[in-house]
Amino acid sequence: MSRVSENSNSTALNFNLSKSKSRMEDLQLKGSTLKRVRKPSDDPMANIEAMTITSRNKDNSQYLKNASLAQLHLNATEDSLVQITETLMKAKDLAIQQSSDFYDDKIRNNIANEVHQLRNHALSVANKRIGNKYIFGGFSTLSKPFETDGSYTGDNGHITIEISKDFFVPINLTGEEVFFFSDPVSSRTPSPLDEFPIFENSRNKIFKDESPEEIKKNQEFIEKGRELASTDPKYQTQGYKNKSNIFALLSMLTSALENNQPKVIQNLLVKMDDSISRLITMRTKIGSISRSVQNSVNSVEMDTINNKSRKSELVDADIADLFSDIQKNNDTMQAAYKVGNATINQSLLDFIK
Amino acid sequence: MADIFSIGRSGLSVSKKALETTSHNISNVNTEGYSRQRTLQQANAPHLKSGVIMGTGADVKAIKRVHDQFVENRLQSSLSEDGFYNERSIVLKDIEQIFNEADGEGLNQILTKFFNSFRELANNPEDESIRSLVRDNAIMVSRDFRRARQALDDQSINIDRKVETFVEETNSYLNQITKLNQKIRNLEVSGNETGDLRDDRDRLLKRLSEYFKIHHYEDNRGNFNVNIDGVGTIVSGVKMIGLRVGRVSKENSLNNMEGSLMLYFEGRPSNPITHKFRGGRMEALIKTRNEDLQKLQSNLDKIAFQLSKAVNNIHNQGFASRSVEVSPDGSVSQSDDKGPLTGINFFENITQEDGASHKIFVSEPIQSDLTNIATGLAPNKPGDNRVAIAISKLQHQKILHNNTTTFEEEYLKSIADIGLKAGKADIDQEQSKSLLTQMETIRERISGVSIDEEASNLIRYQRAFDASARVMRTAGELFDTVLGIMP
Repeated sequence: MSRVSENSNSTALNFNLSKSKSRMEDLQLKGSTLKRVRKPSDDPMANIEAMTITSRNKDNSQYLKNASLAQLHLNATEDSLVQITETLMKAKDLAIQQSSDFYDDKIRNNIANEVHQLRNHALSVANKRIGNKYIFGGFSTLSKPFETDGSYTGDNGHITIEISKDFFVPINLTGEEVFFFSDPVSSRTPSPLDEFPIFENSRNKIFKDESPEEIKKNQEFIEKGRELASTDPKYQTQGYKNKSNIFALLSMLTSALENNQPKVIQNLLVKMDDSISRLITMRTKIGSISRSVQNSVNSVEMDTINNKSRKSELVDADIADLFSDIQKNNDTMQAAYKVGNATINQSLLDFIK
Repeated sequence: MADIFSIGRSGLSVSKKALETTSHNISNVNTEGYSRQRTLQQANAPHLKSGVIMGTGADVKAIKRVHDQFVENRLQSSLSEDGFYNERSIVLKDIEQIFNEADGEGLNQILTKFFNSFRELANNPEDESIRSLVRDNAIMVSRDFRRARQALDDQSINIDRKVETFVEETNSYLNQITKLNQKIRNLEVSGNETGDLRDDRDRLLKRLSEYFKIHHYEDNRGNFNVNIDGVGTIVSGVKMIGLRVGRVSKENSLNNMEGSLMLYFEGRPSNPITHKFRGGRMEALIKTRNEDLQKLQSNLDKIAFQLSKAVNNIHNQGFASRSVEVSPDGSVSQSDDKGPLTGINFFENITQEDGASHKIFVSEPIQSDLTNIATGLAPNKPGDNRVAIAISKLQHQKILHNNTTTFEEEYLKSIADIGLKAGKADIDQEQSKSLLTQMETIRERISGVSIDEEASNLIRYQRAFDASARVMRTAGELFDTVLGIMP
């Protein structure tokens, strides 16, 4: 039997009381904030994971903003392409009508006027803006890309936007790609990070999102677009080397009509087919980018939802658990109080009268 | 009959003495560090009288405090341990709050915002208002780096101040101990009781134990000595060697801070003992300052340094968003009347990593003119967003530690590290507290006052006193009887 003194008794009681009181305080804080993790030491790993998730969600909301901007630009570009294609189709219809000797020069003069109007329309589409930005000027977004004579003053810069982590999409087509038929269309856009040595080791990784199959699929899509538009194999093998553009084409048509030269008009028809085929190719390209933007938006939104539920799992308190803990702790404390009351205030002196 | 009187009187005085001790115990029942005392009584030396050995009553041999040196020593070492974990958990919790982003914004969120503002700029490189957003976010980033670093420095300075007050208190305790040593020696020479003084000394030793681990012993000449574990002797009999506080330059400091505190023994300033303390609050403070705080400081510096360097490297390649003159032969003009057009630093150039988080500022050209924020790699291309994209991608780029960690990962690693340490200190502290309580309970079981015991003693000694008085009355009656014989 060990000796018990007044202080040994109260020391032990105090320690146990303060222990359950501090546990109670912790539970109370949990209950009032409904957070399981309020500072790093509560659960260091959960805390930093929650912080990572917070920044990932911030990134995601930026990506969604980026995607909607990309979508806006892509839609505007697509609309423009549709308008240009329609314009060219109209011009082609007129050219087909006029390629025979059926009409006389008076009528052709009128038609020439109409074609001239079509050219003006095409030019206005080529100088289309979103806000104050010209969409067909490459990186030169603040100056008019096409002069009235049809010459191009823009560049061949591709503006890219990151629409989900490490996934960049081009949001513009350059005036050269759309209105000239110089080079074959490439489905690849150069990485915006090419010029920066710091990203060397991660550059390949960044672009692996677009898998080889996907690239091939896009390529096939583009090829198919070409076939649809132009069936003349001669011009396909020649590629798009011809250094001229749609405006020059329409000007040529106008002057051919004015000068009443059906042979020239016939030759122009082939080039028109070429241009139309090129435009359709571009439309499929824009369409496929637009689709991948939509896909990425869906997956970013999904990711955000998953992140939120994961974060809640990490840092939020489980209310059912919490209340049962509080109840349990409360019982312990009450018991400690009662026991304390029973032992501390008892002494032999109470019985000596 | 005179014998009976003197025997009775000895009984009275012994019982009275015992009652005194009992009441002394009772009145000190709640005195901290008090050891209960016991009256040791013994029978007086017997007389040989006409061939018969006669008892001569009782006498008080000594008043002893009930005390177990072994338990006391263990209690002291538990106090050192508890002091260490207690202090460490307090300091680490303070430090942890600097990085607490569980709710509200911290450096990590601000950094994310900074990178996302570059994404926004990449969306609309032509837009002036987004440039000012970028600039404001960059200013916030640099300011928060400086805030966090300053808060860490302040912690370190606070620790120095705390150590200084500990040293002052230590010296005053040492002074009191030497004085007690003197008193105890003087009293013991003349054979007096010193239990209460020894209790006082033990109390001071316990206070010292909270600061650092000590070791004490009485040598064969009766000198009471105190050593600090791993440091040296601080009390030798009635002499003490005080601790002194000095300041050292950054190069000589243990935590890479200008004017950092160092400790030495009085009269020996060239012999620093700062790093030698084991256990107790002192080691907790010094260790946290030299290891944990310094690590956080240098990590923050590393992140600030690499961030400003990486952003500058990319930004340098870009062109300001003003019209840039290009001569017909293709050479691009490098500056105009507003300053350079390319090679502009986004953050002020920082030359060395040490202290970088103090020196991170948005550069003057960016502060004064928004067109100096470069978005494009090529001149005169308002739609070129490659520089803005590249800077935003630094967020996910593994740059630190030989290209293995991103800024965020590195920063979060620091937080996890401090969180783990604070959490561990908390658990250790709870454990050491429970050990300490256990030791205190054991000590109180041995040395503490029990009211029950004292109450029963009170009755016991009172009865003995009554009985002794009765003996004297009996002796008196005997005298009366004898005197009554006379006519």
